[in-house]
Amino acid sequence: MSSLSRAWSVDAPVVRTEGLCKRYGRTRALDGLDLSVPAGQVFGFLGPNGAGKSTTIRLLLGLARPSAGRAWVCGVPAAEVARAHRFLAYVPADVALWPQLTGAETLELLGRLGPGVDPAYRDELVERFALDLSTPARAYSSGNRQKVALVAAFATRAPLLVLDEPTSGLDPLMEQQFRAAVREARERGQTVFLSSHQLAEVEAICDRVAILRSGRLVDVAEVTALRALHRTEVEAGFGGAVPVLDDLPGVADVEVPAPGRVRFTLTGPPGPALQVLASAGPDYLRVREPGLEEIFLGYYGSTNGGMR
Amino acid sequence: MSTLAPRATRGPAARRLDARPGRAVAGLAARSVRRGATVLVVAAAAMSAVVAFTYESVVGGAPGGAASLAVLAQNPAIRTLFGEPVALDTAGGFTVWRTGAALGVLTGMWALLAATRLLRGEEDSGRWALLVAGTLPAERATARVLAVVTAVPVLAGAGVALALVTAGTPVRGAVLHGAGLALTGIFFGGLGAIAAQVAGRRAAATGAATAVLAAGLLARMIGDGVPALGWLRWLSPFGLTAQVAPFHADRVGPMVVLAVAALLVLAVTPALAGRRDVGEGLVRPAGARRPRRGLLGSPEAFAMRTVLAPWAGWCTGVGAYYLLVGLLTVSLTGFLTANAAFADLAAGAGFAGLDTARGYAATLFALLAMPVGGFAAVRIGALAADEAARRLPLLLAGPLTRTRLLLGHGAVTAVAAVLLSGAAGLAFWAGAALVDAPLGPGEAVAGALNTVPVSLLGLGAAVLALGWSPRLVVAAGSIPGVGGFLWLVISQSIDAPRWVTTVSPFAHLAAVPAAPAAVTATTVMLLVAACLAGLGVVGYRRRDLRPA
Repeated sequence: MSSLSRAWSVDAPVVRTEGLCKRYGRTRALDGLDLSVPAGQVFGFLGPNGAGKSTTIRLLLGLARPSAGRAWVCGVPAAEVARAHRFLAYVPADVALWPQLTGAETLELLGRLGPGVDPAYRDELVERFALDLSTPARAYSSGNRQKVALVAAFATRAPLLVLDEPTSGLDPLMEQQFRAAVREARERGQTVFLSSHQLAEVEAICDRVAILRSGRLVDVAEVTALRALHRTEVEAGFGGAVPVLDDLPGVADVEVPAPGRVRFTLTGPPGPALQVLASAGPDYLRVREPGLEEIFLGYYGSTNGGMR
Repeated sequence: MSTLAPRATRGPAARRLDARPGRAVAGLAARSVRRGATVLVVAAAAMSAVVAFTYESVVGGAPGGAASLAVLAQNPAIRTLFGEPVALDTAGGFTVWRTGAALGVLTGMWALLAATRLLRGEEDSGRWALLVAGTLPAERATARVLAVVTAVPVLAGAGVALALVTAGTPVRGAVLHGAGLALTGIFFGGLGAIAAQVAGRRAAATGAATAVLAAGLLARMIGDGVPALGWLRWLSPFGLTAQVAPFHADRVGPMVVLAVAALLVLAVTPALAGRRDVGEGLVRPAGARRPRRGLLGSPEAFAMRTVLAPWAGWCTGVGAYYLLVGLLTVSLTGFLTANAAFADLAAGAGFAGLDTARGYAATLFALLAMPVGGFAAVRIGALAADEAARRLPLLLAGPLTRTRLLLGHGAVTAVAAVLLSGAAGLAFWAGAALVDAPLGPGEAVAGALNTVPVSLLGLGAAVLALGWSPRLVVAAGSIPGVGGFLWLVISQSIDAPRWVTTVSPFAHLAAVPAAPAAVTATTVMLLVAACLAGLGVVGYRRRDLRPA
C-alpha cells in the first residue's frame, strides 16, 4: 500500500476528468465533464436524479466506457482498472451482496480482493456500526448491506473513497458514525468523493461541492464560498418606526410584514445595513444563512424536481 | 363552470377505478415468458410436424422400412432416452417415439424453470413484494402466475396434436400425445411452484425441482429397463406418458393418473403461498453461523467456492444416470449378442459395436455433452446473474480486470465440466463393473472425456453471449449440447443430406472407447470453443456493465 501511495504524487489531483461524455442512444447522461478533485478533501457531488452522478462514478470505476473524454484516478487512466483500483475503495448506491455469504465472509472477500485493509480498524468499525457479521447476507436489511460495504471501504487505506449515496439506508445514529468515519478518513489524508442527495450531510462533512445538472457541471465551490455567494435573510423588529433600507448596497426584497417589523435579503458586506438598523434601536435581529437546500433550489428551480 | 360542477362533485372516490390486479399480474408474467414460450411451442410443434411429415419418405426410402427402424430402436442410447419403441410402423408412433421423451423433458424443464423464476426469483429480487402490496393476496397472485406458466405447455401440447393431425395421423393418438405433453409440463410447472414456496432461494428451488424431474426420468428408465421394477413408471410423468402409448395402445388410465397428479400439484401451491411470509420460504434458511473463510482469497478461488455446491448436485444427478446405464450394460449388449441378425443390421445402420460393452458405453457417453454443456452454460449464467443483481461492482472496484474475472470463472467452469464428465465415466464403470461387464475404468473415463469438446463448445457459446448479450447466456450455451443433439436426431430421422447432419457437433464425435478418438475433430472443436470464448472476452471487456 505505502509503496503504491508513494508512486502517485500527493499534489496531483486524485480524480481528474477531461471532457468526459456518456451517451445512451440519444440521451446524454454526461456531457463534457471537466473535474479535478485535490487530495485530502471531502468532495461532495450533488445533483438531482438523472443528473449524471452515478454515470460519472461508473466511468471513474471503469464499469462503463466513456463515449468521449478521459478520466484519471491518482494519475492512472480510469480504464486501467488493475492499476487504478489499487488507489480506491467503492460503496455503490444499491449494495447487493452474495446471499449465501455471511457478513464476515463478505468482508473477507472484499478485503482480499481490494487494495488491502487495516484489520484492527475494520474490527473497530464493525463495533461502531453495530454490524452482526454472523448472518448470511440474504437476511440483511438494505441498511445493513450498506454498512457492510461502508466498513469494507473505510477499512482500506486507499487514497480515494468513492461513496455513491452511501447513507440512504442508515438511521440517524449510524449516520453519525458515517460522518465520524469520513472525518477520520480525511484526517488520515484520504480523499472522499461523496455523491449524495442528503444536503444536510453534504453541508456537514464536505469541504467542496460540485453541482451537476443534466449531465453538465453547474458549479464547483467551497461550501462556505457557496453560501457567501448567496443571500442572507435578515429580519428585525422595532418599537418605533422601521428604518428605510431600500437604497443600501446589497439589500433587496425589503418588506414590512407587520408594523415595526422589516425583512430583507443581504448580499455582500453587511456593514451599511447593520449601521442603519443599529441607529434605529432594534428590539431583535434574526439572521439566517441560506441552507444548501435553498442554494440548490436556486440552481434547479422548482421545475426540476427530484431533490430531497 | 356549471358544466364542470358535476364532475367536481364526483371526485376521485366516485370515479370508477380501473384496477384489475389479477389481470395485471398475469399480464406481467405473460410478458416475461412470452419469448421462451413462443420458442417452446413452435419448436415442439415444428419437431413433431417435421418428423411426422417426412415419415413416409424416410421409412419408405429406408432399406427394410420399419424393420430397419426396429433395429435403430435397439440402440440403447436411443432406447433409454426416447423410451420403449412401439408402433414404429406408423407416422404417429414413430414421431412419439422419436420426439416424445425429448419434448417431455424440454417442456417439463421449461415450465419448472419459468415457475421458479417467476415465483421465487421475482421474490428474491424484491419485485414480488411490490405486486402483492397491491389489492391481490399472495395466494391469488401465485395462482395467476401459475395459470400463465401452465398455459404454455397446454399450447405446446395443442400445437403438437395439431401438427400430428395435420400430418394425417389418427386423431385419438395425436390428442393423447398432446395431452400427455401438456400434463407433463403442467405437473413440472406446479412442482417448480411448490419448490418456490418451500425453498427461500431461487437456486435451491430450481435445484430441488430439477432433482425431482431427474428422478422421474431415472424411474422411467429403470421401469423400462428392469421388468420387475416396471411399476416405477407409475411414479413418473415420463413413465405415465410412455404407458399411454399413443397410436399403439392409446391407454387412458395412465393419462387420468397424470391429470390427477398435475391438478393436485397445482392446487397445493396457492395454499402454500398463503401460509408463508413474503420473501421467505416455508423452510427457513439457517441463521447465524461461524464464518467459513476458505476460498475467498482470489476471484478464481471465489469462483471455485461458488461452483462447489452446484457441481455436487449435477454430479449426483449425472452420476446416478450413468451408474444406472452402466448397470444395464450386460442386459442390453447381451440382447444384441444373442441376436446376431439385429447386431448386423445395427452395424449396417451405423451403430457398429453396440453388442459390446465399449460400443454401448460410447453411444451413451455421447449424451453426456448435453448435461455437461448445460452445466457450463448455467455456471456462466451465474456470472450474468451476479451482474444483473448488481453484485459485480463490489468485486470490480478492486484491482481486478473483467478479463481476469471472466477467464478465472471460465477456467474454473471448464475444469468443473471436465471433472463432471470424468465422474460420469467412473459412475458408468462402477455400474458396468457391478454386472461384470468387460469395461475398464480408464476406458469408461476416456469415453466420457471424449465428449468434453462438445461441452466446452457450450461453455464457449455461453461466454460469447455474456460478452455481447448477457440475457442469452444460458440459451446460447445450450445450443451446442441440447440443440446439437436434437439437430442430429431430427436430421437423421428425416434422412437429411449429410451436410445438414454435420452441422451438429455430435456428428463428429468418435465412438470412444470402441474406436480411437477423432483427433482432428476434437482439435477443431476445442479451437472453435476457444475462439467463441475469446470473442466473448473481447465483448465483455468493451461493454458497459449492466444494469446502468
